[in-house]
Amino acid sequence: MRKLSTSLCAAGLLAMVTAGSAIADNHDDQIALGKAVYLDKSRGNCISCHTIADPDANLAGNQGPPTLSMKTRFPDKRKLRAQIWDASKNNPLTIMPPVGKHWILSEEEIDAVVEYIYQF
Amino acid sequence: MKIIRKLALGFAVAAATHITYAADTGFDMQTVDPEADRIALQNYYKSRFPDTELADYVNGIYSVDADSREQWVELEEFPPYEFDVEKGEELFNIAFANGKGYADCFENGGIGIRHKYPYWNKEEGTVKTLEQEINECRVKNGEEALKWSKGPIAQISAYMAWTSRDKVFDIQIPEDDPRAKAAYLEGKKFFYSKRGQLNLSCANCHLQGSNIRIRADLPGPQLGHVTHFPVFRSKWGELGTLHRRYSGCHRDSRSDPLKPQAEEFRNLEYFQSYMSNGLVANGPGARK
Amino acid sequence: MNKGLIIAAVLALAPTFAAAESFQNAFEMNRAMYGKGHVFTWQGKQYTTQHEEEAEAAVKATKANAEALLDKAKAKNAEVAELGYEWKLTRGLLKEAQTAIDEGDYQKALNLAAQAKYHARMGIQQYHYAQANWHLAVPQ
Repeated sequence: MRKLSTSLCAAGLLAMVTAGSAIADNHDDQIALGKAVYLDKSRGNCISCHTIADPDANLAGNQGPPTLSMKTRFPDKRKLRAQIWDASKNNPLTIMPPVGKHWILSEEEIDAVVEYIYQF
Repeated sequence: MKIIRKLALGFAVAAATHITYAADTGFDMQTVDPEADRIALQNYYKSRFPDTELADYVNGIYSVDADSREQWVELEEFPPYEFDVEKGEELFNIAFANGKGYADCFENGGIGIRHKYPYWNKEEGTVKTLEQEINECRVKNGEEALKWSKGPIAQISAYMAWTSRDKVFDIQIPEDDPRAKAAYLEGKKFFYSKRGQLNLSCANCHLQGSNIRIRADLPGPQLGHVTHFPVFRSKWGELGTLHRRYSGCHRDSRSDPLKPQAEEFRNLEYFQSYMSNGLVANGPGARK
Repeated sequence: MNKGLIIAAVLALAPTFAAAESFQNAFEMNRAMYGKGHVFTWQGKQYTTQHEEEAEAAVKATKANAEALLDKAKAKNAEVAELGYEWKLTRGLLKEAQTAIDEGDYQKALNLAAQAKYHARMGIQQYHYAQANWHLAVPQ
């Protein structure tokens, strides 16, 4: 919500583009945010269903496919983002919550998760 | 903004018109067939877990997961609900201020009848649950109604379930009142509909997700789901009713949760209990 | 680049359900791939990936504007509650928005009300989707 408020305050697209490049400058911060979102039960809680080869990820569930070979599986990072934003688009019966479409995570958090998992 | 509102309305209407096309066998009042549903569900689980005997589904997740079954069998040696059954028997037998008791309100003095609940009440035009009739019995005799989720009502229900162990569930959907079938259909629809911010249906976890880990938890199968209620749940550290669990699940989907004994939950219980027809009542149960 | 104009143009362009649906698809696909603030082309015209509610919150941060959006959000949430599909956190957002108004933080109130209204709108959409599609999940 913090980041969301900032962006909404922005008067126009230009401001958003600027904010976007500021994030890119802090790629490590973004990955740290993505990891926090992935692991935190009240945020993304991705770990509840997707195993990941991060030593800090304990007792992951297996309702969904493991988070691995992301670059091979999703050569287009935008397609990966879309899959996270609304997995029910491709599979209406999926158990995976539409974390973007239902505004469970902010768009910035989703970007961060994409960067985090794209390393695996 | 007016245009936006019109557009939104457009979507709603477009979505509504789909309903007519969606009507397929078993999904509306003309075609819904509870027996076909029950068989289809059993077949689904037979192919999912071919090694599990049908009768074993009353043991929930322990019917399909050998590892957790071991721990559970140990737990059942000194069942955590034992005290509650004793307490429930005591409460069941304490006479009301007017000298009457629970035994006066139920068929067969309330003994060995759990497996007949819930049932369709034609006079009232609604599904009646055991807990509901426990409270109605109290109110009719000048006592205060009990809170729905835990404590005395769960204990009394546990005792009544205990006296009904091994009786075969036999939920009826009377043909002479179409509202009964409508209530069943509503319950079925509730089970399979995605809801809440997390967009989850009951089926997401308890049908397709049965015995697949959500973090360290394994969701139990929908077949035999209700037979062992009320349950002593380790997570609660106490006994609770089926509707307490319904409210919790509903909340977990990030829906604004319905209250225990809401009509939607009673219809859901009606559907789920019908799915368990042919299985035995084995409440109260112990669950993680 | 005036967001208001782009959005108004978008919506005026949706004369039939089919077109509305395919615009909705295009919008969601672009939002899903790029987040907010992305410009895309649909049937030869340009639009942004901004939710209706985000546009509603991008007004002057005044008490009157915040109260107006909060009222709309409350009404939308009452609508979804009526359908039995109210989400768990929405009333909390509405309360927080009211608190923000009381504290004079109108931009925060607008943002919270926008999110609440979006949640309510999605809940309504979810209800209609479930009505039409719940049967797909039933084992045959």
